[in-house]
Amino acid sequence: MDLSPIDCQHVLQQIELYLDGELEASLRVEVHQHLSGCNGCTDHSAFQQRLKELLRAKCGCNDVPAQVMERIQAMLAGGPEPFHPS
Amino acid sequence: MTRSATAPPEDPALKERFERDAMPLLPSLYSAALRLTRNPADAEDLLQEAFLRAYRGFSGFQEGTNLKAWMYRILTNAFINTYRKKQREPVTVQDEDIADWYLYDKLGAAGAEASAESEVLDKIPDEEVQRALEALPEGFRMAVLLADVEGFSYKEIAEILEVPIGTVMSRLHRGRKALQKALWDTVRERGLVAD
Repeated sequence: MDLSPIDCQHVLQQIELYLDGELEASLRVEVHQHLSGCNGCTDHSAFQQRLKELLRAKCGCNDVPAQVMERIQAMLAGGPEPFHPS
Repeated sequence: MTRSATAPPEDPALKERFERDAMPLLPSLYSAALRLTRNPADAEDLLQEAFLRAYRGFSGFQEGTNLKAWMYRILTNAFINTYRKKQREPVTVQDEDIADWYLYDKLGAAGAEASAESEVLDKIPDEEVQRALEALPEGFRMAVLLADVEGFSYKEIAEILEVPIGTVMSRLHRGRKALQKALWDTVRERGLVAD
């Protein structure tokens, strides 16, 4: 499906930058317009976005152990420094 | 002795500002430390070292600028200085044979409908996704972590890692491809799609 001015191949090459919010304005609009009329590229884009969300959801959510919180709070309180870099 | 070693800011307002602004970043920095060091004991030490350095240097931090990026720069620098020496690992990814849409294509070829492809991703356990990210070589792992997990811009990542933006883009693209390959291996091993 070719919705000029840019074709599917060009759009798919730009998807990473597009989803990262790093495309310059005019190209961003072109990609956005293409996506609104092209199911194939929209599927690709949605999948890539889902991958980004997967990483964010599963790799950034570890609970801080209580003892770590205590060590850092003790450091802020100016107490003994339990950590000694080698 | 311990007080001078820690050298907390003498200004109570500065300490208060550190507690107010920097401490809320602790959970995301801890997760990042885990992804970087790949084990809880090292992650705890790295996190504490980063907070210690940040606390010592906090008087030099300009209020109103990007504190999160400043903290991540301290964390990644501490990681590179302390842990790179410990770890022997590949410095680049083997991605020559991985197509840009590797995982999408593989899932499609395995019969997953477009809408079902995302559902397959949801079935991958957290630990496996973490392992896939942690398996990336350091430079690629940090770029993907900072962009996709933490949402930093390319410019911020370039500043945090002290590399050109072009290097950030290359590491992101190649790191993400390698990640797709690792996730596909997991999907197959776990039988999440008919092979």
